[in-house]
Amino acid sequence: MTSVSGSDSSRWLGWSFVTPALLLLLALNLFPLFFSIYLGFTNADLSGGETQGIGARNYTVLFSDARYAGAITTTALFVLCSVSIELVLGFVLALALKDRFPAKPVVLTILLIPMMLTPVVLSLFWNLILNGHYGILNQILGGLGLPQPQWLTSDDLKFVSIVMVDVWMWTPFMMLISLAGLNAIPGYIYEAAEIDRASRLTVFRRITLPMCAPLLGLAVLLRGTDALKQFDLVMAMTGPNDLTTQTLSARVYQVVFRDYKVGLGAAYAVVILVMVIAVATLFVRYMDQLQRQQGRAGG
Amino acid sequence: MKLLRALIIIGYLALASFPLLWLGLTSLKTYEDTISARAKFVPWTESSPQSVTFQATFEAYRNLSKPVAGTSHDFYHYLLNSVLIGTLSTLTAVALGTLCAYGFSRFRIPGSKDWLFFILSTRFLPPLAVVVPVLVMYRSFSLENTHLGLILLYTSFNLSLATWLMKGFIDEIPRAFEEAALVDGYSRLRAFFQVIVPQAATGMAVTAVFCLISAWNEFGFAMTLNNYEAKTVPVYFAGLQGNIEGVPWPQIAAGMMIFVLPIIVFTVLVRNHLLRGVTFGTIKQ
Repeated sequence: MTSVSGSDSSRWLGWSFVTPALLLLLALNLFPLFFSIYLGFTNADLSGGETQGIGARNYTVLFSDARYAGAITTTALFVLCSVSIELVLGFVLALALKDRFPAKPVVLTILLIPMMLTPVVLSLFWNLILNGHYGILNQILGGLGLPQPQWLTSDDLKFVSIVMVDVWMWTPFMMLISLAGLNAIPGYIYEAAEIDRASRLTVFRRITLPMCAPLLGLAVLLRGTDALKQFDLVMAMTGPNDLTTQTLSARVYQVVFRDYKVGLGAAYAVVILVMVIAVATLFVRYMDQLQRQQGRAGG
Repeated sequence: MKLLRALIIIGYLALASFPLLWLGLTSLKTYEDTISARAKFVPWTESSPQSVTFQATFEAYRNLSKPVAGTSHDFYHYLLNSVLIGTLSTLTAVALGTLCAYGFSRFRIPGSKDWLFFILSTRFLPPLAVVVPVLVMYRSFSLENTHLGLILLYTSFNLSLATWLMKGFIDEIPRAFEEAALVDGYSRLRAFFQVIVPQAATGMAVTAVFCLISAWNEFGFAMTLNNYEAKTVPVYFAGLQGNIEGVPWPQIAAGMMIFVLPIIVFTVLVRNHLLRGVTFGTIKQ
């Protein structure tokens, strides 16, 4: 291939294939980043009016606002709770689903459907299920003689409800990747363990878990970066200005689209981007490593 | 052990599919039955306040062509917006992504790895962090509240997925195919269109499905940049929540059924590629 693609003309040809995509990404992703940095130092306003530089005032406002710290805590807590519950549930499900059983492909497909559906639309419908007065969940709980809490209006439970819907939606994702990990473990390793009379627990701890770990790591990073953006469920279930569930994205919405403060919103965006870039760097390194390992194993 | 496995599977299957089942049932009810204090499980020919049966009706589906109180258009107007924006952005993303993936797969581009990871990292940006500068940009180009504005954003949003998925698919096509074509005197471009594209057709279809579903499901950009003219279905539903005449649940449920049906069909179609799709082609099965 070197003979064809090493020459100067084909180098330009290569660039011409990739440039359109790169240009669009630079215009709609990279440029806005720099633009955010600029806007963050201004008093830009959604209702119009002269935009002026105001130095770092947005950042002093931001860092001294308890709602900023609150949004970070809520987001972190959300990522931690939802991702860990989904991981454990998904992995347990994958263990149960690993071996053959009747109608396995059909069952798998049905289980996977929630993660493909529109998050905001389905969480809106969950509002009907969780409604404290006529929701089906409380009617079932009542029928079983259990307490019927106000899932969507009680300050203690709003966050729990959002995590619950997220878990319903994304456990299949963890299950799918866990299954891939479990299926990739060659059968002879289990046979060898059986000959050595290793206990079930030892097999699980020494073989199953470590051999699935790289893929589980990938799953956690993919889900984690996604959960970090959480906006849809919050908007649909509690609204952007509820302090018990206000994630960073919801906070930005409130600041820009309800309070019309674009400059302050841009400062928020910059802070979020710094965090996202840190996580993304970690992720990219991990992907790179994983690809190299897969390349070695496959090649 | 076998029993435990069966219990876990059946139990979770019931829990996971119940909300969808309930959605289907709700779409067949009247408004009174959706908020009844006696849950209505069984569609029947008649309804009585004390029983679990309700009279099944397609009224909610018929009502979809009438605007809900407080909105200016019917459901299908917003559905058309979703279809337009979804398909056009998908076509563009797959086209650009395939070209880009081909370039990275077959040519030596300096820093290609860095570029690829830059492309991947754009997927991590939260819409709400990107939207602030984009809003100001769009205002000065009059792109706010237009189909084009959202199509451009969804194209760029899906490019990372399209490029990475297509790179995986194109890497699997043996180079010998196009080398033979090049020896036969095909130009690069002709070899790309007549050799690579037909070989990668399945991959392109799978990629298109994933891009379409992401665009179909997107809410952050649509809610913030497009709340009026080119409003998509998710934004429309979200807006019905505080409806003055009570949330029109049967109509919402009927609309939701119509809206999620294509996703379910597509999911079934690409079920063997789901793993690849959700991991950006990192795991191939």
